[in-house]
Amino acid sequence: MAHGENAAGFEEHHGTGRYVAVWVALCVLTVATFLTSRLALGPPWHLLVAMAIAGGKATLVALFFMHLWDQPGANRLVFVTSLAFVALLIGLTVLDNATRFPLTNPPHEQTLRFQPPGEEPHVQEGERGQGRPGAIGRPAAEH
Amino acid sequence: MNPSANSVVYNTPNYLDAEGGVRSWLFTRDHKRIGVMYLVLTTSAFALGGLFAMLIRIELLTPGPTIMSAMTYNRMFTLHGVVMIFLFMVPAIPGIFGNFFLPLMLGAQDVAFPRLNLLSVYLYLVGATIAVWGMIQGGADTGWTFYAPYSTTTTTKVVPILLGAFVIGFSSIVTGINFIVTTHTMRGPGLTWDRMPLFVWSIYATSIIQVLATPVLGMVLLLVAIEHSFGFGIFDPARGGDPILLQHLFWFYSHPAVYIMVLPAMAVISEVVCAFARKNMFGYKAVAYSSLGIAFVGFFTWGHHLFTSGQSAFDAGIFGVLSMFVGIFTAIKVFNWTATLYKGAIKFTAPFAYVCGFLFFLVFGGMTGVALATVSLDVHWQDTYFVVAHFHFIMVGGTIMAFLAGIHYWWPKMFGRMYSEGWALVAACTIIFGFNATFIPQFLLGNMGMPRRYYSYPAQFWPLNVASTAGASLLGFGFLLVLVYLLLSLKYGRVAGANPWGSRGFEWNTPSPPSALNFPVPPVFTHGPHDYQDRGPGEEPSPTPPPEAQHA
Ligand code: HEM
Ligand SMILES: [Cu+2]
Repeated sequence: MAHGENAAGFEEHHGTGRYVAVWVALCVLTVATFLTSRLALGPPWHLLVAMAIAGGKATLVALFFMHLWDQPGANRLVFVTSLAFVALLIGLTVLDNATRFPLTNPPHEQTLRFQPPGEEPHVQEGERGQGRPGAIGRPAAEH
Repeated sequence: MNPSANSVVYNTPNYLDAEGGVRSWLFTRDHKRIGVMYLVLTTSAFALGGLFAMLIRIELLTPGPTIMSAMTYNRMFTLHGVVMIFLFMVPAIPGIFGNFFLPLMLGAQDVAFPRLNLLSVYLYLVGATIAVWGMIQGGADTGWTFYAPYSTTTTTKVVPILLGAFVIGFSSIVTGINFIVTTHTMRGPGLTWDRMPLFVWSIYATSIIQVLATPVLGMVLLLVAIEHSFGFGIFDPARGGDPILLQHLFWFYSHPAVYIMVLPAMAVISEVVCAFARKNMFGYKAVAYSSLGIAFVGFFTWGHHLFTSGQSAFDAGIFGVLSMFVGIFTAIKVFNWTATLYKGAIKFTAPFAYVCGFLFFLVFGGMTGVALATVSLDVHWQDTYFVVAHFHFIMVGGTIMAFLAGIHYWWPKMFGRMYSEGWALVAACTIIFGFNATFIPQFLLGNMGMPRRYYSYPAQFWPLNVASTAGASLLGFGFLLVLVYLLLSLKYGRVAGANPWGSRGFEWNTPSPPSALNFPVPPVFTHGPHDYQDRGPGEEPSPTPPPEAQHA
């Protein structure tokens, strides 16, 4: 990578307007997170919505506050690659968690359940959504 | 031809004499001096780790208690693992040879960030100091893997050891970033990617892993330290945590980390094979790209350490299959190195002896790795001496062989003196034989069911343990021998000259030791590396590239 004399705009300094706009967007999204948490969407939607909003906020921060928007392609590629590796770490770890023998998971843990192909179903009834933090009463089969 | 610096008269002093005094070393930004500092620091760590190893082997000389208590034994194998991995294996080859030779091979004046480079030495030093302080306080007894819930509840001094490794991680990241940027931005005129020495390719691949994986290690070490200090329930099931989560996070770093250890070894071997077979690398591109392939696939296999830990059978199956892919890229390299030897004009020197050792141990260790990646077999071998023998074959047999090959090959370049070739061959034979005697019995012991990390064992395992301890003593003696004749050579060795091996590696086109400035004028690269092409049948290649006119 030579010095990033790419398309116009790199190294150019933007006025405060852009930062304020991003900041306002972040505030709005924060309020949105709070409000959707009140909606009692229930699993798995509460988690998905919250993560989607958080992901959007992180994207804004990376693009504008961390200036990825103005960077040459190679630097963006580095960023995206590292995200892919984070996804790998979390993906295969959660996959383990979701396909384990249920008793192996810590008590009261909120886990996804996923049925690997060609396996006898585990004790499943009432599992999904059980064991929110603080909730009591795991399915009797798991005690 | 190669970068033609030979015709240039060097009237600048070499890097060792350029400046005198302790301060000039402590504040140096010269990549070569930093390489020498790493040499001193990491070999000291190696000596410390070796001392722990000898104590372990002496304890195992008899079935019952021999010289220490069970608790002391636990501390010994923990400290041995921590020191060898974090203080020696990971930093050694990149720190020493990467720093010293990467800029020389690229025709650069220095690395891209010389100050960060110095910082990496000090981060290493600070981390090592914290860890050694923890050892003096009593050390930890968790094993280098820090598995919870034991690591989060033990009363030994696990926190300083964790923090020491955490700080050293930053040293590793900084070095990695530095090498990546150097390779991208500091290549000399004409040095395209397909002309880069294979050493550079492999170090580059290592750097990518260092930058991507080490932060995960930092995170997990910190979480364990926090949980140990403040009692959070992250990993301890009694507090609602998940102990397998720790293993996922730990091995997400530590499996790629085994390639942080072995890719630099492969880097060295690629150089040494060409130099002593006097042939171009067979399949240059395959060897270069397979480094990147190993770096990539190495990230997909960490779960093979969790087969018996409670990981889901589904994940275990996925990881078992993915693990086998690493074997493909490793095999590509092994076949190409071997094919390079074919019809070469081999010079059987000490570095070459280590290459032979390397090839044997890497194949043997790698094959047992593939066997271990088979879930049904691993259930039998997991946590036995079979695993211990597997990774020692790869790490000692791979990384240490390459380290020794490299130090013998580049010693004349780094310090301008030749060591005694006769003694070097004696030492190489001692080490290679001693190594086999140490670890082949451990394969057998593991297969018979002897578990690792126990300080006593049933009497039927006694003879093989004696054999192993005897081999380890021979191994230790071999290392001492190397240390002695290398140090003696600094004073009494024959002056080496610029290129005693007649190598075509780019780094040999400098005087020995190299000038403080590396090159008076930037060298121009007109050919690929390891360029022995012009060798007629049965004819030695010209020892150094003919002094060419200075274009540029
Ligand atoms: C063909 C490539 C390889 C494969 C398929 C492989 C596979 C494995 C497997 C399955 C295990 C787990 C065994 C168990 O605990 O039951 C293991 C352990 C280990 N391997 Fe390898 N391996 C390979 C190469 C390497 C290399 C290149 C290194 C080091 C440079 C290495 C270092 C280790 C270490 C340190 C451990 C044990 C860690 C511990 O439990 O303390 N392996 N390997
Ligand atoms: Cu592994």
